Amino acid sequence: MPIIVNLDVMMAKRKMSLNELSEKVGLTLSNLSILKTGKAKAIRFSTLESICEVLNCQPGDILEYVD
Amino acid sequence: MEIKITTNHILKVLEILSWIIFIGLCIEAGGTVANTIITLFINPLGVGNFWEGADYLSSLFESDQGYFFIITLTMIIVAVLKAIMFYLIVKLFVDKKLNISQPFSMELRQFILNLAYLALGIGLFSHSGFEYSLWLTIQGHAKADLQSLHIAGADVWLFMAVILFVIVQIVKRGIEIQNENDLTV
Repeated sequence: MPIIVNLDVMMAKRKMSLNELSEKVGLTLSNLSILKTGKAKAIRFSTLESICEVLNCQPGDILEYVD
Repeated sequence: MEIKITTNHILKVLEILSWIIFIGLCIEAGGTVANTIITLFINPLGVGNFWEGADYLSSLFESDQGYFFIITLTMIIVAVLKAIMFYLIVKLFVDKKLNISQPFSMELRQFILNLAYLALGIGLFSHSGFEYSLWLTIQGHAKADLQSLHIAGADVWLFMAVILFVIVQIVKRGIEIQNENDLTV
């Protein structure tokens, strides 16, 4: 898939675990895992907004397009 | 007191109806097979056991056993296909493969596809039975009452087959959308 999710990179930079992120964002661990492993087919703006707010980053820091 | 009819209630009623129809079709198919074998190989007077179609089949049997065999073979194939169709419907309920929370699945698609093929088969064989009885009428035999031979309504079965094939395409798209929704975070 051309869109890569760099969630683990941002989580490492902010020193945040998956459990902590899941609690703060309000997403289940399984859904976060789907996102982190690149299996997600789509992401809601509300979810992206929550993640960016918690990790204090831009959407471009999490989502990357590769050819 | 307000009585609320839920999807589960409707499904339960449909399950009971399906069982009743399935048992009836099995009796019809089994009876037709048994009567045909008895009439052809054991006792020709068995032709009188063919319920409403006895008169027509009696005259056909007296005229030519080959004609009788072809008509009864068509009746048997149609009855068996109908029984298989309702067997699949009953099996769907018994195996509890219908998941209301995630209804679109490959099993449902395959089930509807099987029903479509069976409806197509029933329609085609019923139509061939109709054409054959028409040919027999031209040959000088009595006009067949297709309703009494249980091979009437070929056009309805073919219409149902077409509708089911269209529904299969819709379910296929439903599966894609459901999968995408499941992987949307």
